[in-house]
Amino acid sequence: MQQEDNAIPGPAETPPGPEGVHDHEEAEAREASPRRGLSRRGLFAGAAGSVVAGALLGAGGTAAAYSAGRADTASDEADAVDLSAAVPFYDQGHQAGIVTPPQRYATFMTFDLADSATTTDLQVLLARWTAAIGQMVQGLPIGVVEPSRPDAVGVDTGEAVGLNPASLTVTVGLGPGVFDDRFGLASKRPALLADLERIPGDRLDPALSGGDLSVQACADDPQVAYHAVRNLARMVTTTAQTRWVVMGFGRASAGAGQQTPRNLFGFKDGTRNVTGEAEHDRFVWLDDAGWMAGGTYQVVRKIRMTIESWDADRVSDQQSVFGRTKDEGAPLGGAAEFDTPDFVRTDDSGTPVIDPLSHIALAAPENNAGVKILRRSYNYTDGLNAQGLLDAGLLFVSYQNDPAHFVTLQHKLGRFDLLNEYIQHIGSAVFAVPPGPARGGYIGQALFA
Amino acid sequence: MLRKRRSLLGLSIATALTVGMTACSAPATAPSAAGSGSDDAAPVSNGAAQVAITLSNDGGDTCTLDHASAAAGPVTFTVTNASSTAITEVELQSDLKIIGEKENLAPGLPSSSFTVTLSGGTYTVYCPGGQPETQQFTVTGEAAAAPTGSAAQVLTAGTTEYAAWVVTQAEDLQTAVSTLRKAVDAGDLDAAKTAYVRARPFYEKIESDVEGFVLSGYAVDDNSGNLDYLIDMRASSLDDKVGWSGFHAVERSLYKDQRITDETKGYAAGLETNVGRLVTLVKALTYKPEDLANGAASLLEEVQANKITGEEEEFSHIDLVDFASNLEGAKQAFACLQPGLEKIDPELTAEVAAQFASVDKALAPYEDSTAAGGYIPWTAANRATHAKGLSQTVLALQQPLQRIAEKVATAN
Repeated sequence: MQQEDNAIPGPAETPPGPEGVHDHEEAEAREASPRRGLSRRGLFAGAAGSVVAGALLGAGGTAAAYSAGRADTASDEADAVDLSAAVPFYDQGHQAGIVTPPQRYATFMTFDLADSATTTDLQVLLARWTAAIGQMVQGLPIGVVEPSRPDAVGVDTGEAVGLNPASLTVTVGLGPGVFDDRFGLASKRPALLADLERIPGDRLDPALSGGDLSVQACADDPQVAYHAVRNLARMVTTTAQTRWVVMGFGRASAGAGQQTPRNLFGFKDGTRNVTGEAEHDRFVWLDDAGWMAGGTYQVVRKIRMTIESWDADRVSDQQSVFGRTKDEGAPLGGAAEFDTPDFVRTDDSGTPVIDPLSHIALAAPENNAGVKILRRSYNYTDGLNAQGLLDAGLLFVSYQNDPAHFVTLQHKLGRFDLLNEYIQHIGSAVFAVPPGPARGGYIGQALFA
Repeated sequence: MLRKRRSLLGLSIATALTVGMTACSAPATAPSAAGSGSDDAAPVSNGAAQVAITLSNDGGDTCTLDHASAAAGPVTFTVTNASSTAITEVELQSDLKIIGEKENLAPGLPSSSFTVTLSGGTYTVYCPGGQPETQQFTVTGEAAAAPTGSAAQVLTAGTTEYAAWVVTQAEDLQTAVSTLRKAVDAGDLDAAKTAYVRARPFYEKIESDVEGFVLSGYAVDDNSGNLDYLIDMRASSLDDKVGWSGFHAVERSLYKDQRITDETKGYAAGLETNVGRLVTLVKALTYKPEDLANGAASLLEEVQANKITGEEEEFSHIDLVDFASNLEGAKQAFACLQPGLEKIDPELTAEVAAQFASVDKALAPYEDSTAAGGYIPWTAANRATHAKGLSQTVLALQQPLQRIAEKVATAN
C-alpha cells in the first residue's frame, strides 16, 4: 500500500530463491483445502506447476478476475506454485525471505527477551533457531515427533510432517532492545538501528508494536509457515516471550517474475517495487557495515483498513486516492500498469491528473530524491472488530539499508496521503536483519565473537 | 487439563490405586552400530579419559566419536556441533538409562562437555536424528567408584515423602470442607465464603493426583460417578444429566446468588461426602517418580488453562488463590524429585528451580492481604492487564518441567 510507486516494473534477473515459485491467488484459494492430506508432491511434481495451475483455473470455472484486461500471458504460468521447492538457507550471504519472491502466506511474530535472559541464552537461542530453520526449510522436522520414551515430550510438534518445504523462508531480526545494556552488546549496535520516531498519523498500540526479536516465516503453505514460528517460539520459552503476531494470508507485493498482487483495497500493490540485483545492492543490502555487512533493516507496520467505508466509496474517488486505475493499475492518465506516472500533467481545467496528495504521488521516488524501499507486505485479517466490522489490513514489511528512508516517506504519507481516511497505522517495529549464516554457523554469530 | 481416567472396582480395593499405570518402559532403541571411533582407548588428561564427539552434516547428519572405548573411571565427553542441524542432543546410556547428556547443541556454539564415572561394560551413545542414532562405547576394567545411593533409590524415597504430603493435604481438605458445610448449614453467608476460600487451596495443591476417579458401579463416561466432576465441575463442564455439584455449585450460590438455600445445603453436604471418599482413595495411592513430574506439569497446565483465564472461579474470582495452590503443589512434587534429579541432570534441575522462582516473583505483586485468599480478585479488568505476563512466565516454567518425566522414568 505504501510507496506504491517505488520500483522499476517488469521481470528482471531472479534473485536468490526457488525457481518456479510463483503465485496465483485464485488457483490457491480453490485448491488449497482439498489438497491438504494428499501428497502435494504428487500434484505439483517438479516443473509441472504451470500446467497444473492452468488446469485448476479451468476446473474452477472462473478466470482470475484481477488479470482481466491484462495481456501478460506469462503471468498466469509464472504464478503457479511448486510446493516441493525449497529455498537455500545457508551460505547465501543474505538471509532468505527478503529478496526471495514473496510466498503466499506469512506468519510474523515478535518476541521480548525475558528479564532473566543472559547473553549466553541469546547466543543459544540464535544458534538453535538457525539450526531449526536449516531443518524446516528442507521440509524436515526439527527433531523427533514421537519419542521412543513414553514420558518424553516431542521435540517437533508434528503438524508439518508430510508437508513439502513450500519455499519456506524464516528471516530473523534483532530489535533495538538487543543492544541495550542487558547483554553487553551495545558496542555491536547496528549503526542505524533505533526505535522509530513517532510519525504523523501514527495511532500505535504498544501491544502491537516493538519487540526484541522478529521472526518472519513465509511459505506457500500456511501450515508450514505457522509450524515454523510455533516451533521456534516453543523452543525458547525460557529465554523469550511472544509479543505480537500477524498472520498474512495473501502476499501484497510482487517479486521478479510475479504478477503484481493486490491489497485488500483491491488495488495492485508494488508495481514499482525494488527489483533486481543492482537495485537490491543499492537500496536494500548493507555494505561496509562491519558485522552487519550483507544484512539490512526491516520495518514492520500493522496497518488497519476501514474496509466497509472503502468499499462504499465511488471508484473514481478510490482511483484518485491511489492515483491509479483499479483494474489495470495504470497511473491516471496512462494506459498500462507499468506506464511511468506523469505527475506534471493537468487536465483542461488545470487540475493535476494525478492528485499530488494521492498515494503514488507522495511515495514516488521521483518526488522523494530517488529513495526506494523494498516492500514485502501481506494482507491480514483478525476477524471482526468489536463493532462487527471486518478487522483487516496490511502487514507492511519493508527492507532498506537505512530505516530513515522509510521514515522520510512515511512522514509525508502520514500527513498528506488521501488514503489516510481509510487506514490507521496501529503497529510498528524496526529490526536489524543480520547477514545470512554460513553452514556450521548461525545468525548473529558475529555478535558473540 | 489431562484427565487420567481411573476406574475403580470398589472403594475398598485400595491396592488397585496406583497413579499412572505405565510401567517404566525403556526406549526401543538398541545399539545399531559399533562405535565410529578408533579402537584405541581414549587418552587420559585432567584425570579423565577424553572422548570427543563431533556432530556434522556432510549430506547426512552424523555423530562421530574419536575413540570408541575408554578405561574404567572418569570419562569426559566433549561434544562439538560442527554443522548438524538435525542433531541437538547427545546422550550416554547404560541399559537404556540416561547417565549423561548434552542438549541445546547447535552449529556455531562452543563445545560443551560432561563427565561421568564409568565402570567396565558396554554403553550406548545416542544421537537422536543422527545416522546411525546409536553407537557402542566400551569401557574396560572394573568399576572405579560406587555411587552412594542411586538416582532411582533417591527418587523413590522422594515419592514416598510426596505421598505422605498428599495425604496431609487431603485430610486438611476434609476438615476445611466440613467447616464449609457447617457454615452453609448455619446459613451464614460471610462465614461460608471465608470457608470456601480456605478450602479451595487444599484441593488445588493435589488436583493432579485426585482427578479421574470413578466410583464403583459407574461407567467411565457417567459423570454421576466421577469424583472429579462431583467435587470440581464448572459451568463449562456442566453435564445436564447430572447437574451442578461440588465446590463451584456452592460458589455460585455464595457469590452469584449471594444467598444460601436448601439447594446450597445439599451441594455442601454432597461435597463433604465426596471429599470423604476422595481422602480414602488418596491414602492408598503410591507414585512413581514420573507421576510426580507429570503431575507437576499437569498442575501448570491447570494454571494456564483455567486459572489465568479466570474460568475456574467464575463467581468468587479467587483464581489467583488457586494459581498459587497449583504452583505450590507443583513445587512440592519437584522438591521431592530434586535430590534424585540432581544426580541425573543438574542443569535441568537448576533451570526448573530458577523458573519456579521466576513464577513466584511474577505472582508476588498480586498478593493483597486485604483480599479473600490473599490475592487480588481475578476480575476481567485485572486479567486484561496482567494475564499475559503471568501466562508467559508460567510457559517458561512448563517447558523445562516437561522434560523431567522422561529423565526420572529412566533413572537407575
